[in-house]
Amino acid sequence: MSQPHATARADAAAGSDLPGPYPVGQYAAVLKRRLLEFARVQLVGEVWGFRSSRARVYFELRDGRGALPCSMWASDFETLGVRLADGLKVVVGGGCDYYPGSASSSPSFTFAVTELRIAGEGDLLVQLERLRRRLHADGLFEPQKRLPRPLLPRTIGVVTGERGKARDDVLAGLERRGWAGRIIWAFAPVQDRLAAPLIANALRDLAAIPEVEVVIVARGGGSLADLFAFCDEGLCRTVALLRVPVISSVGHHTDRTLIDDVAAVCCSTPTHAAEVAVPIDCGAARTELLARSRRLHTHGRRAIADRARALERLAAAPAQHIVRHRRHLHQLMRELRASARRGLEASRKRTGTHLLVLGRTTERARTSDRARRASDLARLALALDAHDPQRTLARGYALVEDRAGEALGSAAAARAAQQVRVRFHDDVLDAEVTR
Amino acid sequence: MSASPPTYESAVARIEEIIRRLDSGEAGLRETLALVEEGRKLVEYCAGELEAVSHGLEELRLDDLVARLEGTSRQA
Repeated sequence: MSQPHATARADAAAGSDLPGPYPVGQYAAVLKRRLLEFARVQLVGEVWGFRSSRARVYFELRDGRGALPCSMWASDFETLGVRLADGLKVVVGGGCDYYPGSASSSPSFTFAVTELRIAGEGDLLVQLERLRRRLHADGLFEPQKRLPRPLLPRTIGVVTGERGKARDDVLAGLERRGWAGRIIWAFAPVQDRLAAPLIANALRDLAAIPEVEVVIVARGGGSLADLFAFCDEGLCRTVALLRVPVISSVGHHTDRTLIDDVAAVCCSTPTHAAEVAVPIDCGAARTELLARSRRLHTHGRRAIADRARALERLAAAPAQHIVRHRRHLHQLMRELRASARRGLEASRKRTGTHLLVLGRTTERARTSDRARRASDLARLALALDAHDPQRTLARGYALVEDRAGEALGSAAAARAAQQVRVRFHDDVLDAEVTR
Repeated sequence: MSASPPTYESAVARIEEIIRRLDSGEAGLRETLALVEEGRKLVEYCAGELEAVSHGLEELRLDDLVARLEGTSRQA
């Protein structure tokens, strides 16, 4: 331990060999530090002078050889759910603490308690732990948890004390869910160890009723000894092998009985247990169901209406197709007629033009041919006229012919013929060749 | 749906499955109508279950039931 520093050796008591003097606050701080270094331990003793303030509870722990002032945070103490009375033997766990005080407040020493249980429960706890391990090893923690729990049970079994507050809490929880089905109450003593076989019988009877879908086992808080009925091996084995799921709510949430381990669900309060037994809010479920029903209805109606419309469209399609084609054909026909008319007109015009041209050509040809022929004729007439013997004869020449009218071209021929004719342009004279 | 008797939770789960299928738009007309019909029956079943827990709390005592049962068996 570090020693406080001496302040003024001059202040030391005359004749003393002791170190110091040290300021008391400094010494108190060191003392606090040293006390806090003490190991945290469990102590056993009897409670005396229990009193509570807003923040902490205080009591003395005594036995025949000594006593210690103890204190504990009130919030921690309240969670234990125990009542302390003078003479009650308890086991506390914690460590030393020291408030060094000040110029205006007194110092105090306390054993700061962080754990507390009623003495004697230690043995129970050891037994309990041993049994818990055995049940676990036998696989009895699992069967209940594997059972399906209904969302909406019609019938719920409840094992509880007939006059306990747990009954009202269960009803409050069910009401909160809007559930108003059938409850079968199995009232049983829930206080001591002898209650266990009765609770087990009640559970078996409830499970034998086919309508029961889930069972709640409920009990309010108490000491471990009070709750020990729910740690009974026979009861736990019964629960573990029950055909219906069991929801346990035994003691406060800090208590842990063995039925909590084997049950399907372990709840902190009976109200919570009721809410777990009916996991859905019935009012909300009705609303959701209505919404789902509407959606189904809408789907069904839409499926038919949509397809009916599609069918209607499909049914109308061929007729519309024919109408379209008919219109197209009519259009084509009109175009064809118009085209034919235009072609005929053009052809007619062309033919008229050709006829006109032909007529003109013919006329031109006819006129030209006539003139040419007249000219040729005139020319031929002129040529003919030029060769006409009459014109030669008219110029003073005469043609000698025999009597047959054959022209005699030479004197010898004329001599041979003797009787000749001399043709003048105006007349013919018979003559005779004499030499 | 399985052949086992429906429970409220299985019926609700199946209804949700049916609605998901219908929402997907992949079901043909025949399947749609079959699903809607199946869903309608399941909704009726669920409504019946909800109705059964809505009439008012019925409180029975196990002792009375056991006594009644024992009386019946004695008479038989």
